[in-house]
Amino acid sequence: MFAAIRAVAYHLPSNTVSNEDLARDFPDWSLQKVAAKTGIDCRHLAASDECASDLAEAAARKLFATGIVAPEQIDYLLFCTQSPDHPLPTTACLLQHRLGLPTEIGALDFNLGCSGFVYGLGLAKGLIETAQASRVLLLTGETYSKFLDPNDRGVRTIFGDGAAAALIEARRDAPETGDWIGPFVYGTDGRGKDNLIVQAGGARSHWAAADYLYMNGPEIFSFTLDSVPRAIETLLKRTGLSIDTIDYFVFHQANIFMLEHLRQKIGIAAEKFLMAMRHCGNTVSSTIPIVLNEASRQGRFQPGQRIALVGFGVGYSWAATLIRWAG
Amino acid sequence: MTRHEALQLLEQTLEMEPCTLVGNERLRDLPGWDSMSTLAFISLVDKKARTPLSGARVARCKTVAELLELLGIPPAERAA
Repeated sequence: MFAAIRAVAYHLPSNTVSNEDLARDFPDWSLQKVAAKTGIDCRHLAASDECASDLAEAAARKLFATGIVAPEQIDYLLFCTQSPDHPLPTTACLLQHRLGLPTEIGALDFNLGCSGFVYGLGLAKGLIETAQASRVLLLTGETYSKFLDPNDRGVRTIFGDGAAAALIEARRDAPETGDWIGPFVYGTDGRGKDNLIVQAGGARSHWAAADYLYMNGPEIFSFTLDSVPRAIETLLKRTGLSIDTIDYFVFHQANIFMLEHLRQKIGIAAEKFLMAMRHCGNTVSSTIPIVLNEASRQGRFQPGQRIALVGFGVGYSWAATLIRWAG
Repeated sequence: MTRHEALQLLEQTLEMEPCTLVGNERLRDLPGWDSMSTLAFISLVDKKARTPLSGARVARCKTVAELLELLGIPPAERAA
């Protein structure tokens, strides 16, 4: 059996923050310049009583509403989030119940940020191709907005809340060449831990400590300039392909400035480099599936086309893979 | 990279006229030097010299001279 992405959906919360809204909070900052550099016009923020699981549930329901799969057909649930409902129990267990998935399934959370969707594909492929599952529901969901300092204009400009749902399914047929999903390139460097962090709330910090997300943008930029081109180079070696023979590239949607620099550095043609963040900002692990969903709805993808995915960020953690669009 | 080229990159980052900087300025006194311009400078250096500068080291610089030093501009050249 071979694992393939069958469908992708996403959900954004209804509250929005535009660049004009931010300009009222930060009148001394050139938000036109910031908008040009980030490529973001609008971010969606979860309501105070809305959690990442609520967003993920809504994304999953959108997926089910397409008719492509029913809840009772799912046999494994993966939930990527850094904003769980509780330290315990596992939020995926709550989602199993709320979505009406069978009780005879596996379900787990995994804590990753911007690299999470690609890691999730790796996990799903492993489960399916070892016959542990045949239909994996991969959910990503994040509410970074709840960690943001209201006075930190840098992070408030970039991050938005959102969730995505992807169905990864077992297929009997392989594509003409290669795999529907894979190979994979993984990377981890914990030396970067302090450059994107929320200190409070875990076992290492006082539970009651109020703390905001801290991000060292320049240091993270330096990390991406080094790790992302190397990941693409390794992926090309493992696939035996070249930049020109890959149809599309979808990178984690950090901000347009970083992405455009990476695109030029790696030598990817603009028409192959897909982006979709203007309307939602950096939604962490949901950025890649949001681009896939938007591009698919616009009719960009043909069955069998090769799409390189690269997630990178908090951790530091990064991962790249090649998918064939299964249609 | 020469001292002149390095100063040009910084002028480009800050949208200054060419030959505005002499190399001994304090960064906080330069209009537009902030976290966004730090990213822009790192980007320009990477494009020109294929060298990803450490964001932390750039952020620790207080003067243009210290930035030049990150780019390997020797002290003797800065004194000229």
